[in-house]
Amino acid sequence: MVFLQLFVNGLQLGAIYALTAVGFSLIFGSTKIFHVAHGSAFAISGYIYWWLASKLGVPWPIATLAAVIAAAVFGLLMERWIYRPIQRHEASFFTVFIAAFGVQLIIQNLIGTVAGRGMETVNTPLSRSVEVMDGLFIAPIAAISILVAIVVFYALNYFLTRTHVGIAMRALSENPDLVRVFGLDPGRVAQWAFMIGSAVVVPGAIFTAMTAGLNPAIGTHVMLVSLAATIVGGIGSVRGAAAGGMLLGLAENLAYWKLDPQWSEAVTFIVLFAFIIFRPSGFFGSPTIAK
Amino acid sequence: MTTYIINLAILIGINAILAVTLNFILGYAGIFSLAHAIFFGIGAYTAAVLAMKFGADFVVATAAGMVLSGVISLALALPALRVRGEYFVAASLGLQMLALTVFSEWKSVTGGIGGLIGIPPARLFGVDVSDPVWFLCLTLACLAITLLVILMLVRSSFGRNLKAIRDDETAASALGKNVSLLKTLAVMVSSAFAAVAGSLYAFYLSFINVESFILEVSVQIIAMVIIGGTATLIGPVIGAVIVLLLPALLTYIPYLPPTEIGSIQQMIYGLAMVLLMIFRPSGLWGYGSDTQKKGAQ
Repeated sequence: MVFLQLFVNGLQLGAIYALTAVGFSLIFGSTKIFHVAHGSAFAISGYIYWWLASKLGVPWPIATLAAVIAAAVFGLLMERWIYRPIQRHEASFFTVFIAAFGVQLIIQNLIGTVAGRGMETVNTPLSRSVEVMDGLFIAPIAAISILVAIVVFYALNYFLTRTHVGIAMRALSENPDLVRVFGLDPGRVAQWAFMIGSAVVVPGAIFTAMTAGLNPAIGTHVMLVSLAATIVGGIGSVRGAAAGGMLLGLAENLAYWKLDPQWSEAVTFIVLFAFIIFRPSGFFGSPTIAK
Repeated sequence: MTTYIINLAILIGINAILAVTLNFILGYAGIFSLAHAIFFGIGAYTAAVLAMKFGADFVVATAAGMVLSGVISLALALPALRVRGEYFVAASLGLQMLALTVFSEWKSVTGGIGGLIGIPPARLFGVDVSDPVWFLCLTLACLAITLLVILMLVRSSFGRNLKAIRDDETAASALGKNVSLLKTLAVMVSSAFAAVAGSLYAFYLSFINVESFILEVSVQIIAMVIIGGTATLIGPVIGAVIVLLLPALLTYIPYLPPTEIGSIQQMIYGLAMVLLMIFRPSGLWGYGSDTQKKGAQ
């Protein structure tokens, strides 16, 4: 029964991780920008939801909408103000990475200064566990997060295969010059990728605020999980990132069976390392040894 | 006042060693590590434990830390460097998290969260170096040796190979260079010398705990390298001076709540990193944008 309980918890956490990693993977896949400030979009939207819903008592649909807008604007501004100016003179992995890391540092400390450094949670009846079976406690939020993850994933899939912008985004990942030949502006397409990729983290951020809680340093944790899930799933593959996130969430929770909770990040690392050693291309990635 | 300045000078010296060693992989080899504080920590814990349990000499304790740090870095570098640069970033971030958990949980050796208290003063060839002035000399000597070793490596064919890999990995491997081997060696050298800084730190403070080896410290070392200038010998040292003088300078600004200084300091690094990457990627001491354009890849 403990196993089943941990498995359910793992599915819930995995859904949150999948939602986060999918956004990162979408951005990386189409723009080739290693967006390590992705965790900041998570932190910003989570804190905005917390501030509106918990502090000001705004109804949840409005708070959610505000969080989505905040995340999308953050993504847009990152592309416009940080990545585009850097790419104008030089687009190395190194410069982009440092700049994104700098943004992550600023946001993390800004949140700490404005909202305080403690743990913040949004109280909701949805996170109250109900005993479903003998010794198995499930909160409605678990079912909701898994359901939302599935819906978002399918919506994203539809978007990428059926709409013009989505197809342009996939084209951008294959060949930016060809996108230009077709009369599309690659910069515009990249902005879309950033906005959508950032907005996708919102459900994960809200569910985290409702369950485990938010702290200013959460961006770093999200960054580790997104990076790990993207590598485990295969770089540039959206469905890989979703599967990777799910696997990490499950692994982290199943590890509680034998280990103390403080080892959870270590489990993420061990799974990541196992993949780097035995299957560096991930679940769905094409084998890429050295770039 | 003199004590204060000597104390600051020693800490700058220790951090300069960290910045110079990180720059060796970051600036010259283009390898991005987020786990430098961990190798600093391994050096510190090894030296502290050897000195407390066996009364080990400074040289012995430091050498042991260097070996252990080098071996552990091998475990990180060997698998992670076979593949793309992004993998190493992720793996080093993972190692930072994992090793920190080990530091705080392996209570019998590291003293857990409380840390190790009462580390004896550094004993060099039978003489205790407890006077701060002499300890400053020891620190500066270690920094000089580190700089010399890094300079020799950079000027050697090994250093040229690393720069070739940084600039164009495919071309370097096409010329028959063993890219993974060279990178792995670079990481080992860098981690081993980071342990020297750890050993100095443990002996100087006579107390260490997990707090000194957290991710923020790794980030601070990165900030030193970036602000000072990558792929230059003196740049990281200047970066270390700037970054360590910053909190002292901030205390002179009126109306700044003391509890927020740490936060403000980190925001300043963050802002400096962003602005430098947009306007001057080679850092304050760098060679200007032309070389960098051909540089980091």
